[in-house]
Amino acid sequence: MSIYNVYFLAGLLVASAVYFWLPGVRLRQLCLALGNAAFVFAFAPDAQSLVAMVLWLASGYVVARVLMARPDSRLLAIYVAGMVAAFVILKRYEFLELFLPRSILDHSLSIVGLSYMLFRQIHVVVDARQGQIESLPFWTYLNYQTNLFGLLAGPIQRYQDFADDWNRLEPLSTDAAEILKTYRRIFIGVLKVVALSEACLAGYNWAAASLLSGGQALSGPFVRWRALGTFLAFFYLYPAYIYFNFSGYCDLVIGAARLFGIRMPENFEWPFFGRNMIDYWTRWHKTLGLWIRDYVFTPMYMAIAGRWSNRAASLAFVCYFFAFFLTGVWHGSTWNFLIFGILNGIGVAAAKLWENHLLKRRGRLWYKQYLQSKLIRAASIFVTFHFVCITILFFPADMHKTLTVLRSFAMKLF
Amino acid sequence: MPIESLTDDVQSVFRHVFADDQIEICEATTAADIDGWDSLAHLNLIIALEKRFGVKFATAEISRLKADGSNVGSLLEMLRRKLA
Repeated sequence: MSIYNVYFLAGLLVASAVYFWLPGVRLRQLCLALGNAAFVFAFAPDAQSLVAMVLWLASGYVVARVLMARPDSRLLAIYVAGMVAAFVILKRYEFLELFLPRSILDHSLSIVGLSYMLFRQIHVVVDARQGQIESLPFWTYLNYQTNLFGLLAGPIQRYQDFADDWNRLEPLSTDAAEILKTYRRIFIGVLKVVALSEACLAGYNWAAASLLSGGQALSGPFVRWRALGTFLAFFYLYPAYIYFNFSGYCDLVIGAARLFGIRMPENFEWPFFGRNMIDYWTRWHKTLGLWIRDYVFTPMYMAIAGRWSNRAASLAFVCYFFAFFLTGVWHGSTWNFLIFGILNGIGVAAAKLWENHLLKRRGRLWYKQYLQSKLIRAASIFVTFHFVCITILFFPADMHKTLTVLRSFAMKLF
Repeated sequence: MPIESLTDDVQSVFRHVFADDQIEICEATTAADIDGWDSLAHLNLIIALEKRFGVKFATAEISRLKADGSNVGSLLEMLRRKLA
């Protein structure tokens, strides 16, 4: 099933039109809960996977309740480690083949939205341990985790924000212009996914095939220039495809959620205008970048800085690298994401190193002027954008194809 | 602890963390008003405040204090609640 299916979209719009006629928050919750359940069943491949999902969610709930009653850092650490281990096995990460017998990875379990459930579950148990969740009814928790507007690919919403809306479920606006803007956003989201992203993907596939063929497409005069042009299409069109696909999906789910009284967090803010890789990750998949900052970088850096305060400044780079390496690796279970993760880790750590280098050499006043320079800003955006494009070269799972295309382009050029 | 005294103590922590004896804070002060108050400096500030006042900040609180709309007033209010 696809959420861009015309029947699903029509059903969504019809449901949203009659939803607020339902009297009282309970009936509205029931309506959304039925939608969540239908969504989970529609995407669940088999009964075993559904059972695994129930166990996953139930374990998180029980541990969170225990931690709310008795805050225990050791229990939290053991549970989070167990959850991450279960996650990499359930997702069949290829690097595990180096350490584990193949039989362990040879399973058919596939929990829908597991990657995002992991983030939400870690957030809930950590916040429960730290006294940041006042109440955690099972009904609210279950619908938070299976919320159809964030189940498949985010955005990563915090429990407290979801609970605020879930306990009210009132129209977020009664202004006709605002409501129209929401419908327009949904329409633009669908358009981005079904037209723009598909067009970019088709262009990318054509460019890859042309570079691989070495035949008619790139023969005749100016062959090098043609090869260069085709390579640029290959280089730029995949980032454009991912952007339109993912931001379109986010437009659709954020807009649709608003029609049902739920405010999902924004996920994109002109990502290709980031002035360095740290800035980029606060613009692209923002909720992931902020989650990594809060639940990986912050605790890791604070633990290190608390223990070795005189070495904290240099160890910060290790934290930056590790946090964004994990961000990259989380995207997929195949080897290419290891490279994607390493490049992102290097990019983020390098951005911080460069900033520190300039501050040390020129001082804070000069650095402030440096940040205000339009020329520097444009150059930074240009360099960051191209570095992002290089990292995205390793996003498609078929790394062999990517490397063959790059080799073929190099041969045509030289 | 009286509010003036708490503000003065927090100000001395700010001056130490940002290595700037000229820093003057008030409730309306935001990250944009202090040079170098980025995500990493924010964590250094939190660590220094935890040490100075013997309190602990939760991950969600640290994140909230860095979010749009937060200022030194939000920080002082949170500290006051922890010290009460």
